[in-house]
Amino acid sequence: MSSPSDDPPSKTPQNPVSQVAQANDDRQDPKVEMEKEISSASVFVNAEPPREEQVQNAVRFLSHPKVRGSPVVYRRSFLERKGLTKEEIDEAFRRVPDSNPDATTTLSAVGKQDGQIKSSLNDQQQHPVQVLQSTPVGPAVSTSKVGAISRFRWYHGILAAGFLTVAQVIAAVVFKRLFVPKLKSWIRWIVLEEDVKGQTKKFDTKPSIAEEAAAAAKSAATAAADVARTSQDMLMTNSEEKRCLEELISMLRVQASEMTSLRGAIQKLEVGHSITSRQSTEEHNIKGFSWTTSGPYANGKVDSDSRSVRSLSPPVSVEPSVAPHPKSYMEIMAMIQRGEKPSNIREINDAPPNPNQPLPNPHLAPKPKPWEIGQGQSRSAGTFPSQASTNGFSIDDQLNGDNIVRWRQPNNTRTTETEIGNEPNFGFPSVATNETLLKRSWVPPQPPSVVMPEAAAAIRQPKKSLSQTDTETDDLKSADITDELQKITKISEMGGSFEANGSNSTHSNEIAPSTDERASSLMA
Amino acid sequence: MPVFKTPFNGYSVKFSPFYENQVAVATSQNFGILGNGRVHVLQLGPAITERVAFDTADGVYDLCWSESHDSLIVAAIADGSLKIYDLSLPPTANPIRSLHEHGRECHGVDFNTVRKDSFLSASWDDTVKLWTVDRPTSVRTFKEHAYCVYSVVWNPRHADVFASASGDCTARIWDVREPGSTMILPAHEFEILSCDWSKYDDCIIATASVDKSIKVWDVRNYRVPLAVLNGHGYAVRKVKFSPHRGSMMASCSYDMTVRLWDYMVEDALIGRYDHHTEFAVGVDMSVLVEGLLASCGWDELVYVWPHGTDPRAP
Repeated sequence: MSSPSDDPPSKTPQNPVSQVAQANDDRQDPKVEMEKEISSASVFVNAEPPREEQVQNAVRFLSHPKVRGSPVVYRRSFLERKGLTKEEIDEAFRRVPDSNPDATTTLSAVGKQDGQIKSSLNDQQQHPVQVLQSTPVGPAVSTSKVGAISRFRWYHGILAAGFLTVAQVIAAVVFKRLFVPKLKSWIRWIVLEEDVKGQTKKFDTKPSIAEEAAAAAKSAATAAADVARTSQDMLMTNSEEKRCLEELISMLRVQASEMTSLRGAIQKLEVGHSITSRQSTEEHNIKGFSWTTSGPYANGKVDSDSRSVRSLSPPVSVEPSVAPHPKSYMEIMAMIQRGEKPSNIREINDAPPNPNQPLPNPHLAPKPKPWEIGQGQSRSAGTFPSQASTNGFSIDDQLNGDNIVRWRQPNNTRTTETEIGNEPNFGFPSVATNETLLKRSWVPPQPPSVVMPEAAAAIRQPKKSLSQTDTETDDLKSADITDELQKITKISEMGGSFEANGSNSTHSNEIAPSTDERASSLMA
Repeated sequence: MPVFKTPFNGYSVKFSPFYENQVAVATSQNFGILGNGRVHVLQLGPAITERVAFDTADGVYDLCWSESHDSLIVAAIADGSLKIYDLSLPPTANPIRSLHEHGRECHGVDFNTVRKDSFLSASWDDTVKLWTVDRPTSVRTFKEHAYCVYSVVWNPRHADVFASASGDCTARIWDVREPGSTMILPAHEFEILSCDWSKYDDCIIATASVDKSIKVWDVRNYRVPLAVLNGHGYAVRKVKFSPHRGSMMASCSYDMTVRLWDYMVEDALIGRYDHHTEFAVGVDMSVLVEGLLASCGWDELVYVWPHGTDPRAP
């Protein structure tokens, strides 16, 4: 059938409509409907221009590193639930460079990112070696490392952070092990020197040497204290980083445990592949909401963002609660979770015995719907609802059989579409009651669209015996026959599939070329 | 008022568009979790009698009558298939078609009331498919929802427009001539289980959700609902606009009640029936008889009663 690539998303439908309509080619005529629907189909399309603020919100959302890790479908769905239109979402995806609306390209992008991350990790591993030799650079290096980490995926971030902390710890330990002994040895050497000097000038220089030694020792101690302090600072920053990362890790662990428990539950419930999903969807309520929180972007930051956006809309006053399921329902669920199958299930073969069984002939013609009747003819509001099936159409049935009834169908639909085209004229926002509707929906100036002049003339006799409104239409009909005939042929021109006569050719110059094309495509 | 007891738990009930006294019921064994299903065709009268029943291997979640053939029923089966039954043939010759394309359960089916040539199926595989009765394969597949599609409804005036309600908390409006959806309504914060178009105003649509509310929207101004109908105690399972009164609609819910609403009125609730003793999951309003309601529930009972009377009255 028509594939999406064949249909340009435009309002002027061409072949696909004819293909869909061919299945019903003896009935009404989609071309007229489409003409009217070009003006009215726009009602079912979002006419707002893309809102820049929403697009920027979406760009911020999509740029978030946690969101990067989530499947594209979830990202789109989230934005749709926030009220963004398709245009706005597409624009946001266009603006965020790394994220692609296509899931397959996302995987390749991840692959590329993996390569980038690995090379940067190698660089980072070299950094700790350098830090060993230059202490003051430590804090700066660590901050730059943190900045680099925020650009990568979360698990790579964890890996990197893990390496970082290990490297820093090693650095601190090595500092302590190398520097402190060096310091001690240096102090010892000074003291020894002093001792050696002291041996020569024992009494006089001893106090001064001792003072000098003490001063040197003090300065060494302060230097050592400084070093200790800086290393402590480094450790603190590391511990802070560690804490944040640990929080993240714990949340991810929670997610992972949830997922493993879910997986375990699913595996347990594996009695027929669809059972567990039936369970979760039967529950409906919180589960439907929980998938959003257990998704990849279930962290405090994104949720707070989403909540801040949501707070602009009126608060949801009702919270869904789990409806108490019947006791036997819970028993059956428990049975299935244990892996047992309920005993009352039979093996039934419900395949069609003859897949090529021809379709039956309908015994009854389709009856017009109450809302369609109200549009086509005006009936007294009180009586028609209960007599919807026993109105003038049944009389037609009795008189002329299928032909006339089938003729009635396109008439109804066409007038329905005509009425819809007129509704905006009434400024038609709401519907009060049935009666008001009926009165409003009957448009006095419009003559009823009649397809076949011969049939119209034939019907005119039995119709005169019906309600007064029919006589009104009769008056209208008799008033200006030539106008009617023109209208009839015009409508029949557009209703090409229905017509048997060749009225198409004579009035082709009256009709716009586009309808001509449609007529020819339908007739073909 | 007559009541009918089905052996399995009810899931959906639909009046025939051709015969005033015919009603079809979709039922599933074991609440639809796992088990067989059965389609009942019931004859209304002083008592409800069963005209014919068709057994299925898996539960039947929904069904619809054909608008073009008075004896055809399309059933949405929990194994993902759609089965077409012909009442003019004996049960042994049925079903006449089995259309199996969905990857997950088929949860909703609706027949086109304008062109009367095609029907749509809504599935838990996140897609909606368009079919015609004479073709063995689907005509179109609409894949945009991010979660189960619970319900799909044709517009009663525009032959190419339909709406779908999904567990991804959005309702979407589609045009079969367009490749994707034409409007996205972020209608609720929770799953949307059902939607229906107003029969008398082609731009009004109602959505029913797990959040216990029914919201009425005008698609021309879809950011703010026209009305929010609260009152149900639990998730609203189905909503159906009246074929006879423009602003009236019926709804059924897991709170076991069937309610009637008029969203144009200040106090919207105009009727409440608590005849079911388990979840009320299916409700329908007859197109041929004004005011006639039918409902089915997990208590295995099917009620048919005129609005304003007590469904349980003998």
